[in-house]
Amino acid sequence: MAYQVSIFLENKIGHLRKITTLLAENQINIRTMNLTHTSNDWGVLNLIVDFPDKAHQVLNSQNFSVALREVIALEMDDHLGGLDNLLGKVEAAGVNFTNAYSRILKAGGEAFLILDSADTEQAREKLKKLALVPLDDEIVYGK
Amino acid sequence: MFWERNIETLEKDQLQALQSERLVRTLNQAVQSPFYKKIFKEYQVDPTKVKHCGEIKNLPFTTKQDLRDNVPYGLLTLDQKEVIRLHCSSGTTGNPIVVFHTRHDIDSWSNLMARSLFATGVRDTDVFQNICGYGLFTGGLGFQYGCETLGCLSIPAGAGNTARQVKLMQDYGTTAIHAIPSYLNRLHDFITAKGIDVQKDLKIKRMIIGAEPHTEEQRIRIQEMFGVKAYNSYGLTEMNGPGVAFECEYQCGLHVWEDAYIVEIIDPKTFEPVPDGEIGELVMTTLDRQGVPIIRFRTRDLTRIIPGKCDCGRTHKRIDRITGRTDDMFIVKGCNVFPMQIEAVLLQIPEVANNYMIKLETINDNSEMIIEVEVLSNWFRGDIARLDSLKKQIEHGIRNEVLVKPIIRMVEAGSLPVSEGKAVRVQDLRNLN
Repeated sequence: MAYQVSIFLENKIGHLRKITTLLAENQINIRTMNLTHTSNDWGVLNLIVDFPDKAHQVLNSQNFSVALREVIALEMDDHLGGLDNLLGKVEAAGVNFTNAYSRILKAGGEAFLILDSADTEQAREKLKKLALVPLDDEIVYGK
Repeated sequence: MFWERNIETLEKDQLQALQSERLVRTLNQAVQSPFYKKIFKEYQVDPTKVKHCGEIKNLPFTTKQDLRDNVPYGLLTLDQKEVIRLHCSSGTTGNPIVVFHTRHDIDSWSNLMARSLFATGVRDTDVFQNICGYGLFTGGLGFQYGCETLGCLSIPAGAGNTARQVKLMQDYGTTAIHAIPSYLNRLHDFITAKGIDVQKDLKIKRMIIGAEPHTEEQRIRIQEMFGVKAYNSYGLTEMNGPGVAFECEYQCGLHVWEDAYIVEIIDPKTFEPVPDGEIGELVMTTLDRQGVPIIRFRTRDLTRIIPGKCDCGRTHKRIDRITGRTDDMFIVKGCNVFPMQIEAVLLQIPEVANNYMIKLETINDNSEMIIEVEVLSNWFRGDIARLDSLKKQIEHGIRNEVLVKPIIRMVEAGSLPVSEGKAVRVQDLRNLN
C-alpha cells in the first residue's frame, strides 16, 4: 500500500519551496509530485517520497497541515498508448478517481500511475478482479 | 425649497420649545412600557417633572443590550393591536432587537423620509429606484414609504440582479437611485461593460448613498463615475431606519431632524457632553414615536456636530459622516455585523472553532468580509473535496446569520495570530479614512 504525503499550501511565492527545502535537508527524496489547486488561493501538494512516514513527521513538526493518504500505484509502460491501455482497464473495472499523476522509472520502459480515489479500499478490490495489482511499495518509493 | 419650511427652518428657541413639549409627551408614553417603567423607577425619574429638553442629560441611557434583553414586548408602550409593523435587526445571535410601529409612527417616519429626499432635490416628478433589500431591513420600506409620501414614481427594485436594475433604469427613465456605495461601483462597471453611456443613455440625476461607511474620496469617485451628486443618508433601526439624518443639496454634513430626535454627542468614557465640533458618541432620543419610544439610545457611532449654519437655511443640527464605532460592530454591504454572531456560527463547526480571523478588505472597490480559517493537521486528510465542503458550510452558516456572503480564505496552520485571551479577531483593512 503506497502512501502519498498531502500538504495544504497557500498559493504564495516561496511556499512550495519551503517544503522542498525542508525535505532535502532531511534527506528525503521526492519521487514525483502533483499540485492540485482551486481558485481560492490555496491548493494541496501531493508527494510520493522515499520515506513517507519520515516526511509526515518532519512536516508535522514544522506545523504544516499534512496528511498521509493511501493511493494506488499501477504499473504502465512508457510507450505510445501506455497510459491509454492502463486507463482502459481502470475504466473496465469501474473505478473512479479524484486525482492522478505519474512517474517514468525508465525511459521507454516502466512507469507508474498514482490514482487517488475517494474509496481506496473499494477501488483496489475492483481492480483486483481484473488482475490489476498495485505495485510494490519498494518500487514506488524507489528503495 | 423645503418639504415643511415652518419646521425645517424653526429658530433655535422655537425648536427647543417643540422638543421640550415632545420630550414630555415621549416620557409619558415611554413609562407605559415595562422596561421604562422599571428603569425610571430605578433611576428615580419622574417623567411628569421633566419640563425642558435640556433636562435630558439627567435621564438614563438605553443600550442595545437593553433592547436585546427586552425582546419582544419589553419596550412596547401600547396594546399589540395598536401597532401595525415591526422591523428587527438581522441575525439570531443574542436576540435581534425589535421596533414596533403604530400607524402614526409609520406616517411620521414616512414624512421624515419624504423631507429628507426633498432636501436632496427629489420631487414628485422623479422616478426613484430603490436598490436596497426590502423586508425586515428598514432601508427598503423606509425609502419606499418616503417616495410614496413625496409622490414620486417609486420602483421597489430591491437588491441585486444588476441586469434587471439597468433594464428598469432604461425602460422607466429612472432619475434617482438609492443604493449602498459599494454597489454603485459594481453597477457602473456593469453599465459600462454593456456599452451604455451612464451620462448620455440614462437619466439619473441624483443618488442617495448610505448604510455603509465610506470616505469622502469614495463619494467623489462615485459622483464622477455617474456625473451626478450622491447624498449621504444616516439611519438605524432603533431610530426607525433611514430618514434620521440626511444631507441637503449643499452636502456639508447631515441634518438631524430635531423635531423628531434629540441628538447628543457624549464622551463614551465619562458620558459627559462634548462641545460642538468634537468627536464623540452619538446618543439619540425619539420625539415622535408611540409604539417604542427610546430615550438616550447609545448608537455607538462616533461623529461630531458640525458648528455653524448651513447655507440651505435649515436650522436643524448637522452631524458629520460616521467616523467609527465605540464597540466591535462593523458594517459591510449595508449589514450590521457583530463579531460574536460570526463566532457563534464558527464555534459550531468543529474544524474551525476558534481558529479564524475576520478581515474587512476593499476588493475592486467593494467592501468584502473575509473569513480566514486555518487548515489544521487534526482534520486535514489531503482531499480538496473536504476543504470545499467546509468552505460552503462556513459560507452558508455566516450568510444565514448576518446576511452577508463572506469570502472564505483557507490559510496554512500557524498563519493566524495565536489567541491569548481576548484576541483581536477583526481587522478592518478597508480604505475608509
